[in-house]
Amino acid sequence: MIRIEKERIDEFIRALMETWSVYAPARDGKNTLFAPVEDPAGIDHGIFNTDKSPKEIFFPHSEVLFEFEGGEIKKVERDARPIAVWGLRGCDARSLRLLDKVFGSAWQKPDNDMFEDPYWKEKYDDSIIFGTACNEPRSTCFCNWFGAGPHDGAGMDVKVVDTGEAFILDPVSEKGKKYIGSLKGWAEATKKDVTKMKAAAKEADKAMGEVFGMDGIQEKMADLFLKPVWNDIGAKCVNCGACAFICSTCHCFDVQDEGKKGKKGKRIRIWDTCMFPIFTMEASGHNPRDMSKDRLRQRFMHKFSYFINNYDEHLCTGCGRCVIVCPVNLDIREVVREVMACEA
Amino acid sequence: MSNTYIPIQMKVERIEIEDPDKALRTFDLVFVNEEDKKNFEYMPGQFCEWSLLGLGESPFGIASSPTETDFLRFTVSRTGSVTNEIHYLREGDTIGIRGPMGNWYPVEKFKGGNVVIIGGGFAFTTLRSLIVYMLEHRKDYGDITVIYGARAPELFIYKDEISEWQKRDDIDIQLTIDNPAEGWDGRTGFVPTVTKEIAPSTENTWVVVCGPPIMIKFTLPVLSELKFADDRIYTSLERRMKCGIGKCGRCNIGSKYICIDGPVFSLAELKKIPEAF
Ligand SMILES: Cc1cc2nc3c(=O)[nH]c(=O)nc-3n(C[C@H](O)[C@H](O)[C@H](O)COP(=O)(O)OP(=O)(O)OC[C@H]3O[C@@H](n4cnc5c(N)ncnc54)[C@H](O)[C@@H]3O)c2cc1C
Ligand code: SF4
Ligand code: SF4
Ligand code: FES
Repeated sequence: MIRIEKERIDEFIRALMETWSVYAPARDGKNTLFAPVEDPAGIDHGIFNTDKSPKEIFFPHSEVLFEFEGGEIKKVERDARPIAVWGLRGCDARSLRLLDKVFGSAWQKPDNDMFEDPYWKEKYDDSIIFGTACNEPRSTCFCNWFGAGPHDGAGMDVKVVDTGEAFILDPVSEKGKKYIGSLKGWAEATKKDVTKMKAAAKEADKAMGEVFGMDGIQEKMADLFLKPVWNDIGAKCVNCGACAFICSTCHCFDVQDEGKKGKKGKRIRIWDTCMFPIFTMEASGHNPRDMSKDRLRQRFMHKFSYFINNYDEHLCTGCGRCVIVCPVNLDIREVVREVMACEA
Repeated sequence: MSNTYIPIQMKVERIEIEDPDKALRTFDLVFVNEEDKKNFEYMPGQFCEWSLLGLGESPFGIASSPTETDFLRFTVSRTGSVTNEIHYLREGDTIGIRGPMGNWYPVEKFKGGNVVIIGGGFAFTTLRSLIVYMLEHRKDYGDITVIYGARAPELFIYKDEISEWQKRDDIDIQLTIDNPAEGWDGRTGFVPTVTKEIAPSTENTWVVVCGPPIMIKFTLPVLSELKFADDRIYTSLERRMKCGIGKCGRCNIGSKYICIDGPVFSLAELKKIPEAF
């Protein structure tokens, strides 16, 4: 563990920028998001969990798969430098790890790299994640429902704890240990720092709401698939898709071509969501998820049933973004509670 | 690292119009690069994404059999934007494809058994692949029965080839059209009804059903009535697709993605998924 006095943090980031392309929390008007760092002095270390999800660092809202001209295909070269993320919160670090299960792995066909997503892997595999422990969780945070907590380091390479006068860098992964080990000119964290870190973790834990038990939720959801509870839950959802676009774990996308046939253009992938009717609409006009409630159910089934069946984890990390943005106040925690309380 | 999103190049070698309305065209494609040809291994039931630069992609079942090594065959129905453009293609044009994708009919499991193949309309594509494959490995299989229905006589696809099969004594071809038509001396009636009439024996028999959703929906209960077990009945499903590799989240039924876990499923598997029908 090393300690970086706050006055010297820019120095640390600047050194990082020599080899890495660094992303950190920033302000864009009223919104907060992760942006490439041009000047370390511009980083706002006070920003809590950003409004926009950091998944876009590795899985941009729209991403060019390739360009074409006539029949020729050209892959677009990206910035070759590996990505470092500074200030990622625990929920989001775990979200990236979940997305890596989808994009980074060949999933059910482990021996076939045809099923790995090269655009994700070229960014995420070489990245280093500096995560910030949350000293003051919000009322919408519920990472503790998923076995994590505000000071949890899962999914991070290095956990960073703000003790007031200094940042303490606590390496978590092998990659993190190697990086911290390679640094020179920084003091080791003191006993006092460690005491302060422990106290901060305890305070943060106390600020979290009560854990809601979700044991067996995947079977419960499956049993309720055809039950009226989904009519009740879905009644107020307007299928705007805001929850999915803001979500740090939703990963559905569409593929579209820009440009004219036979001419110059590009094939891009863009975030999409199961909340939209056109998502599953077939050329014949048939839509397997015709009703608004079918689509809402799909989103929750994916997160709390299907993903568990396929990957052994919930596809939600309790970041609370969807709770904040939903225009009709549909709270995912209430949905879970309602489902768990329902008799199959 | 390979990049599945980048299509390989194919040349349109032969085009055949299958119906009087010219809404169904069959395309034989050949590989532009020898390397791609070597790497392309597939089985009956798999599909490809056709990739038209500037227009987009659409999935189509492979109608040729892996035993036909010189070309890949597809039959495309004109329904929307991409399929419309596909119908404008001319012999000699180049297009892209990605694949092969998905799983296949369990031809290994079928070995030593009788196979009943039930098809409707232009969804006969991958069934052709399966039939040609089994005829090529004829000794591995028992009786092969084909029940194939179309609205009218001119709407069967692969007519010439079907006539050839009808002349053979090692495959039983039963064609049916919805309503009596002039010059038609075959069966009439919908596929489910005709299946009931023919009542194939369940003994050591596997069934493959592929066709429009409505046909599948009414044929499955008939098969159950005839006492076929759920794990002996296979069908191929369709959903809207994009990536074809289980990433874009578009084609799931329950926990399964049709593009990688399917498109071929047994009825036993589907009965566990409430969203399947
Ligand atoms: C596994 C599989 C095998 C298929 N095999 C055949 C075949 O052998 N012959 C054939 O004619 N058709 C087949 N289809 C259906 C065919 O893919 C659609 O008819 C076609 O994609 C419609 O595209 P469009 O652009 O003309 O229609 P539009 O309505 O303009 O659709 C726009 C886009 O949506 C997607 N899309 C729309 N409908 C479907 C659909 N039913 N299935 C998948 N994607 C869709 C495609 O990406 C399409 O380009 C198959 C579908 C699947 C999933
Ligand atoms: S579902 Fe909501 S709480 Fe869960 S990860 Fe997505 S935005 Fe965050
Ligand atoms: S944000 Fe709310 S209203 Fe909009 S799709 Fe999500 S749950 Fe429905
Ligand atoms: S087509 Fe993308 S997940 Fe199946």
